Amino acid sequence: MRKVWAVIRREFVERVRTKWFWVSAILGPVLFAGIIVFQIMQSIGGAVRNIAVVDSTTNDFGTQVVEALATSRLIRATRVPAGPHVVDSLTRLVEQKELNGFLIVSNALPETGKAEYRASNLSLQTIEELQRALSRLVVKVRLEGKGVNPAVVDWAQDMRITLDQKKIARGKTTSESAGQSFFTAYAMAILLFMAILLYGVNVMSSVLEEKTTRIIEVLVSSLRPFQLMLGKVVGAGAVSFFQFVIWGVSARLLISLRVPIARFLGADASQAQGITLPHIPFATIAVFMAFFLGGFLLYSAMFAAVGAMSSNEQEARQAQQPVTYLLMISYLSIIGLTNDPSSTFAKTLSLVPFTSPIATPVRWTAGSMATTELVASLVLLGLAIVGVTWVASRIYRVGILMTGKRPTMKELVRWVRTA
Amino acid sequence: MSSPVIVDRVTKRFAGHTAVDTLSLTVPSGIIYGLLGPNGAGKTTTLRMIMDIYEPDSGTVRLFDQVGGGRTHSARIGYLPEERGLYPKMRVLDVLVFLAEAKGVPRRVAREQSISWLDRLGLADWRLRKVSDLSKGMQQKVQFISTILHDPDLVILDEPFSGLDPVNSQVLRDTVLEYRRRGKTVLFSTHIMEHAEKLCDRLCIIARGKKLIDGTLAEVKSTHGGKHVIVAFDGSQGSAQQIFADRRLVAKIQDFGQQAELELAAGADAQEILRALVTSGARLARFELASPSLHKIFVDLVGPDAATAVATGGNGGAHA
Repeated sequence: MRKVWAVIRREFVERVRTKWFWVSAILGPVLFAGIIVFQIMQSIGGAVRNIAVVDSTTNDFGTQVVEALATSRLIRATRVPAGPHVVDSLTRLVEQKELNGFLIVSNALPETGKAEYRASNLSLQTIEELQRALSRLVVKVRLEGKGVNPAVVDWAQDMRITLDQKKIARGKTTSESAGQSFFTAYAMAILLFMAILLYGVNVMSSVLEEKTTRIIEVLVSSLRPFQLMLGKVVGAGAVSFFQFVIWGVSARLLISLRVPIARFLGADASQAQGITLPHIPFATIAVFMAFFLGGFLLYSAMFAAVGAMSSNEQEARQAQQPVTYLLMISYLSIIGLTNDPSSTFAKTLSLVPFTSPIATPVRWTAGSMATTELVASLVLLGLAIVGVTWVASRIYRVGILMTGKRPTMKELVRWVRTA
Repeated sequence: MSSPVIVDRVTKRFAGHTAVDTLSLTVPSGIIYGLLGPNGAGKTTTLRMIMDIYEPDSGTVRLFDQVGGGRTHSARIGYLPEERGLYPKMRVLDVLVFLAEAKGVPRRVAREQSISWLDRLGLADWRLRKVSDLSKGMQQKVQFISTILHDPDLVILDEPFSGLDPVNSQVLRDTVLEYRRRGKTVLFSTHIMEHAEKLCDRLCIIARGKKLIDGTLAEVKSTHGGKHVIVAFDGSQGSAQQIFADRRLVAKIQDFGQQAELELAAGADAQEILRALVTSGARLARFELASPSLHKIFVDLVGPDAATAVATGGNGGAHA
């Protein structure tokens, strides 16, 4: 056991000492900080839009539109009476970027609900703001036209609807929104895929390094090949776990620093308060970690075998393809999984051991998985790990001492049988 | 006397050929034992079976009078494989500590010993450098330290001199001799007979996976080859070639140009050859009655094909 520990330690220390570990350890939080800064910048809001309201109405409706828009933080509106060349000259102003756009309103607006907005940049935010302001005004005008007291209209409209979203998952109602739950599942799937692939390939290149430098002979005379493979897989797994911890801690740290960051960027601190990590329940984290561990063990055993049967980088790149494709299946299914986590397709993927490490956490997060299904998925994955590791360690054992051409399928089968 | 290594009728087959064929050998304690043979004779395969790298198809290996090969006893064995290698990207000290730990040596001991050996071989300033920064000669030293830093009772060296520069060759020879002085056992393989002749107490010659002869150096010499004469010239060789070609005088000859090793024909008298050489005008630097060199015995035993292989050198014997 002490020997295995030495292998784990070496694998861990040497990986953590590389540039690449720290590049990705830092890149993660930087990306995360980028997202926070981006969100804060967005809340500061694009600059106020200067728009003109081309008033072709014959009553004071155009003036009312300008007044209604004056309450908006995003829009500064100026009334321009309609005339023969007004539209042309405004278009020129828009092209010269002296004006963001212009709104054309006519008498018909309260009757047909039609108006026109022309701008160089049709930002969604501005359009929503315009629509909201116009529809409030139109409702008001129409009601007043039917003799309703203006004060009553204002009172009726002065009410905002807030839709409180709750998710029902496994008998509990949480305040997670649909968007958050989708985002969490999606982010998890991507993270799982990347981590399993990257660290699996790490195991492969580590095996290959020992083979090509011929140090393997000394190692195999000291340790059983299985001990060596075990140490490698656990060591590489510990590195990726460490990576996750760094990311998790720095994400928490950045979130707790969001107010100072916002202040630094000159944004409204109360807005920054609103930025939070999606709330991830402990059970979800546990499922995520369990399936990451399982998926990693399953795939890195295969990657170790690939490394052992190759004698150089090029060969290994070719030989790893079947394993990578197997993992790609889950990756390509992520969208399908997150869109409809309770479909038969999703259910199948979460039971097949080669796809379940990604499919099961996604379905669990989306809340469409019964505990019995989870247990079945775990058991199948466990069995697959035992089986695959058994085969892989036999290929590994023979392969690491081989040099020369890559073995054929027939030879591989013989290795597994006789090793 | 106990025997650190007992190989009992081991056989190892690889696809299509038998690398080692019912080979038995016993290495007594406290000596230097040479495993000799041409390339492809099965030396490396034999050592790998002793080290548990290969499992024999049949037969057993016992080390230190216990069942189990090198892996079981890795903390007591220093093994230097024929194809050497270190982790190029690791620091020198870390590699040494790791390799010792993998053998089951406690980390603290491994560290102390590594530092002391690096000091001793003049690599103290290099211990925090990467292995790939070291020259080839320095890497050989590091490899060598990794073999012996845990002060093993048995040292197994596969073609230890191949690729060594003269300085490291000397370090290796000194260490091997020191080991024997301290009562430890050294088993090494080589296809270079000069090394074997200078170092070995006992030896075993194998070819095509089979043992041809084993015993002490003196035993091997006395059982093999008759009377030998070494002749070295100093300038003119006279009509030496005709005299050597006379089958009534010389049974076999190993001609090295300026020097030749003759095996006398049965009943022939060395003095007669001396007289003939002097009469023919040859100038002699040396005329010596000798026991046959190990090289001569080796060539006689394994045949001319193998002798060519030895002359061309290279390192073979590694089968996959």
